[in-house]
Amino acid sequence: MKMLPSWRYLTVAVIMAIIGAAIPVQIVRIQSSPEVAGVTGQGTYVWETFYPARGEIFDRHGNLLAGNRTVYEVGVDLAANPDKQTIALAAQMALGMDPAVAIARMTDVKPNITYITLEDFVEPVKADLLKQLQEDARADPSGRNLEAVHFKAHLMRSYPENDLASTVLGYVTRENKGYMGVEEKYDNILAGIPVTELIPADPRRALEYPHIPPGQSIILTIDREIQASVEQILDDALLSTGAASGTILVMDPKTGEILAMSSTPRMNLNDFTRVAEIFPGETPFNRAISQAYEPGSVAKIMTMSAALDTGTVTPATVYLDTGVIYVGGIPIYDWDQGSWGYQDMTGCLAHSLNVCLAWISTQMGNVTFYSYMQRFGLGHLTGIDLAGEAPGRLKLPGDSDWYPVDLGTNAFGQGVAITPIQMVMAASALANNGQMVYPHVLYAKVGESRPDKAAQVVGSPIKAETAHTISSMLVNALESESSDALLEGYTIAGKTGTAQIPTSDGYDENEINASFIGWGPVEDPRFLVYVWLEKPQTNRAASVVAAPIFKQVIERLVVLMGIPPDAIRLQKTNQ
Amino acid sequence: MENVSQIVQKVRQAPWRVQRQWIGLFLLGLVAVSMVAGLYLNITVRATLAGREIQTIQSDLIDKGRENSDFELQLASLNSVKSMQKRAEGLGFQPASPGDITYVVVPGYAPISAVDMSESETASPDLTQNLALQPEYTESLFDWIARALASSAYSGGQP
Repeated sequence: MKMLPSWRYLTVAVIMAIIGAAIPVQIVRIQSSPEVAGVTGQGTYVWETFYPARGEIFDRHGNLLAGNRTVYEVGVDLAANPDKQTIALAAQMALGMDPAVAIARMTDVKPNITYITLEDFVEPVKADLLKQLQEDARADPSGRNLEAVHFKAHLMRSYPENDLASTVLGYVTRENKGYMGVEEKYDNILAGIPVTELIPADPRRALEYPHIPPGQSIILTIDREIQASVEQILDDALLSTGAASGTILVMDPKTGEILAMSSTPRMNLNDFTRVAEIFPGETPFNRAISQAYEPGSVAKIMTMSAALDTGTVTPATVYLDTGVIYVGGIPIYDWDQGSWGYQDMTGCLAHSLNVCLAWISTQMGNVTFYSYMQRFGLGHLTGIDLAGEAPGRLKLPGDSDWYPVDLGTNAFGQGVAITPIQMVMAASALANNGQMVYPHVLYAKVGESRPDKAAQVVGSPIKAETAHTISSMLVNALESESSDALLEGYTIAGKTGTAQIPTSDGYDENEINASFIGWGPVEDPRFLVYVWLEKPQTNRAASVVAAPIFKQVIERLVVLMGIPPDAIRLQKTNQ
Repeated sequence: MENVSQIVQKVRQAPWRVQRQWIGLFLLGLVAVSMVAGLYLNITVRATLAGREIQTIQSDLIDKGRENSDFELQLASLNSVKSMQKRAEGLGFQPASPGDITYVVVPGYAPISAVDMSESETASPDLTQNLALQPEYTESLFDWIARALASSAYSGGQP
């Protein structure tokens, strides 16, 4: 056998060795090449902020009151050599944007900026139109170029019921910050926690991406149907009475759950940019919790309750109303400037006699009277879980602006400033066996057990027996007057309030606040309703303007809440 | 006997034989390195593809979440109080008054006063826990070697 020369073997071996070695070298080179690193993002990290979806808000029956919808951020990649003229024209066509503004945004940028936001919160319809223009430009041989335009979808707050319960819900700005109402009060749990992390672009490390839980969704105590009915009744009432504003509150007096809360004005929460226009100056966003005012005669129920509780009077106590009483040297008159003669305590309430109630407060004395008013929570925040609550003001002996006559006037709701929610909370003690409940709007958090299943009692200003007595007196007072607040088949307790409006020059002789507070069915109260109309023009008596509105509200309530008339209910109870 | 030993010795020390041994050794090393590198490339590619898929799924998840929000909102708008009232009125319905209702006493019946989404709905499980892959599927060859060395060094220190 002829042997091949050794150099040939060597050459072949070297060639094979080079080829063989090139394979793993090439494998390693590909792995570590900048091109591959660019594709896989190997070794690349970017700081990224993740905003969780804002939690939803439901009414007590699971109807959506606040959700989220998709909008787009339209941006331009300046590094991609954008066709600015074409982009500006497309932005004008699709977004209604001034082309000059669009060009300025793309031109007036700092040197290192490679991406600018042309417009944010763009509606999907407009974004789709712009995407269509982008598609058309791709097929257009004339050279129009919209490739530098980018779309980034994200969520924004939306309210399917528009202005329904707007004063309770509040609103959310584009910065995802809640203002007023529930949105502000529970902003920290609804918004979730944005997370900023260093994110690897390497897909092999995809599992390192943070899991961002959405914001907590919550269920409110609000009943959408009741809320809508109450708002409709309030709007109609303002039209029919010419009142400047109005408030209606509906609460479950046993649990403190707010079933409906409406005040005027209201706004479409999807158009929150009009907030300053709709609520000019110091107009409160939610009068039910933010506007303190002199309640007038509805406050008499607290004075009478205190007097009954202390034994100062009994329902049978008779008072001779001469039409005037001097307290601290200042004369106090009845609302009609008349004298009503002998009246028992039910008569004093039925005829809403200022002189009688002023006499009662003087019989109790400063210490006892103001102690009870404080126990009813007057002048203090109720703590309701809504942003923007005002404390009101209860002047006390010793305060620089307290005068002895205040003992008399405070007894019938003058010289004291309270909010509707304070009035409702105080009245809950009368309706709920002497136990005053904490008013609240949070029913539960979705996915969590309810922390507040039992009513939160914030105090027992009066005894249960007193509560029953005052309720009976108020039932009799309404029935003896054949009040317009009464609903056939149901036992209702209530009290009107006609209050003069204080000004810097004393009380306004022409304008009043008309209110009515009532609850029922008295043996087993399911609702507590407060109606307040500010400056009604058609009549100056709450019994004429406020009481019928109360009746309209409870007419809807007994239907929507499925409350049978007394006869049926008692029949059911006896079974 | 000595001649035989010399022949064997010569054959053993023949240049072509020594060269062949070296070539064989070289090829063996080459094959080994190629196999390891190929395996590494294969695993890297699979891990990258899996990562891309996860990224795509995560992106889809976000998109579906947004779509879900949109649908939920559309449904709520269609079922809003005003829409429902309008539809009801269109069908000839009107709000009932207390007098329109006939109550029947049903022993033991307790009306529902509110939805209870709080307790019936359990928190969604964290799927990423189940998706967590073993380190062998995610780490690089060098990471694996480093981990193996660290592991052996650690176990070597045990009594």
